[in-house]
Amino acid sequence: MRCERCGALIGNSYVRFNGTLLCDNCARDLKIDEIFRRQNSMLEQSFPSLSEIPSVFSLGSELDFANAKIRCPRCGMTLKDIDSSGQLGCIECYNTFNETILKNILKRQGSSEYLGRKPGKAAETTSNVTEPVPGQIPDAPAAKDVSAKTPAQAAGEEKPQKVQPDAAQDDKAILDRLRKADLGTVPDDVLEDGMKRAAAAEDYDLAARLRDELKSRKEG
Amino acid sequence: MWYENEGRNTDVVLSTKVIINRNIKGFPFPPKMSDADRENVMGMARQAAGSMGLNFVRTDELDDNAKKDLYDQFFSGYAFLNSNAKTGYLLGKTEGLGVIINSTDHLSIISMVPGNDAALAYKRADDLAAKFEQCMDIAFSDRFGFLTSQIKTVGTGVQIMATLALPGIEKTQGAVQVLGQRAEKYDWQMIPMTRPDGIRENGIYILSNLATLGLTEQELIDRAAKVIDDIIKLEDSCRKNICTKKKAVIEDQYYRAYAVLKYCRRIEVPEVLTLVNWLRLGQKYIDTSDADIDFKTINKLTQKVRRNYDDYARKGARKRDASAERAALVRDIMRGGDRT
Repeated sequence: MRCERCGALIGNSYVRFNGTLLCDNCARDLKIDEIFRRQNSMLEQSFPSLSEIPSVFSLGSELDFANAKIRCPRCGMTLKDIDSSGQLGCIECYNTFNETILKNILKRQGSSEYLGRKPGKAAETTSNVTEPVPGQIPDAPAAKDVSAKTPAQAAGEEKPQKVQPDAAQDDKAILDRLRKADLGTVPDDVLEDGMKRAAAAEDYDLAARLRDELKSRKEG
Repeated sequence: MWYENEGRNTDVVLSTKVIINRNIKGFPFPPKMSDADRENVMGMARQAAGSMGLNFVRTDELDDNAKKDLYDQFFSGYAFLNSNAKTGYLLGKTEGLGVIINSTDHLSIISMVPGNDAALAYKRADDLAAKFEQCMDIAFSDRFGFLTSQIKTVGTGVQIMATLALPGIEKTQGAVQVLGQRAEKYDWQMIPMTRPDGIRENGIYILSNLATLGLTEQELIDRAAKVIDDIIKLEDSCRKNICTKKKAVIEDQYYRAYAVLKYCRRIEVPEVLTLVNWLRLGQKYIDTSDADIDFKTINKLTQKVRRNYDDYARKGARKRDASAERAALVRDIMRGGDRT
């Protein structure tokens, strides 16, 4: 949860006032916490102080939407419509309700700064998932990025000589992962597949470890 | 179906879905669009998609089979497919990749992959989004980024959602809360999956990003990988722990679930999902040598039963046959067949 006023993460202590969630600091700034703190002393008085009530209402409206009567000149949306649906009517709404939108963004995300890409050029993203979680060894063919292929490869013109090193590299990567993995968490079929690959690659130590793991499962 | 393909960590992550929302300048957002605006946007999208190898289909011209196909592939909800609003789809040869026109935004580019691969799902969607941006005047501001109809998606306009099967975490006291807090740290949220008819899907959760501002696309992908990896590790530990400490109970439940699913004659969705949870929980850590089933079959069973257009489309007498037809589908999948 985040404070709807300053956007800070809220811990165990917070104040919900007129439906607005506030952190301790903001509640203190707005002197809302005093109202709650004074409750004990109020019980000791014969009547609560009436002068506090108008200030409570004014604080509430200051935190809520600034002016519910504003309408978007292009699509006619009001703040009430946006509040109830969470949707804007048109691009102009972003100008008309700028402050409210910023407040909403801050409440939800804690930042309103745009750091993404510009239109027209795909983001150059890379996957950081290099080490698989134990138990999931090879990347499946379907999960590989087909867009990384050259047009010639995509058209099926890949030369046979090129396939062999790739396959060998795949084997090496799989065997490396198996060496590092906690074998107790690796499924049987992956162990069996790994055992065949290790034997073919003449890595007899690993093949024996995999065989022993499989054997112990069958016996146990 | 795209979700039947191999994927990474499919024992925990059923699928990863990326939606990129874009709007065309000069038109109101879909909630305020007139029919003429909707037709214009569909026309523009169709024209732009011509060079991208995507085919245009209007929702109001889809027959029941086509609707079923789109629904079962997780592209749209039943209500959207059967509404009278002027909406459409752009679909190509790549399974799980498409564009919905005039849904919440003018263009919602959807990319779905089996298992845990937010980077691949994002790349596919983003490549398509960039192509649309090159040939259309897309709503963008330097301050807010891509302008979307929903305030929650303004900025990158990117929503990443992972569908997770977490029977281990769900059965471990306090683990769901810990995980929820962990996800919140990265500005993600995890919510239990609920069907449109209000039924909770036991053990299934949706993890989605909250932040679309204050971070780059790469940071978003990195956070997705980090959060999902944490969940996979926790789920794996929970499953191992439960199966070790309650071995006899889990084995008993596993084989009971296996037998019921294999021989049932009438069955409801919640029961299937509950039984599938036992299979998923025990599959890796107990002796399953007497059962002929793997995670691929378990996932197929989960997805096909969760997502069945006929559950909603059946009317009158046919509705009463639903549980028998579902049982037949379940038996068939358990035997390695596929009726669909």
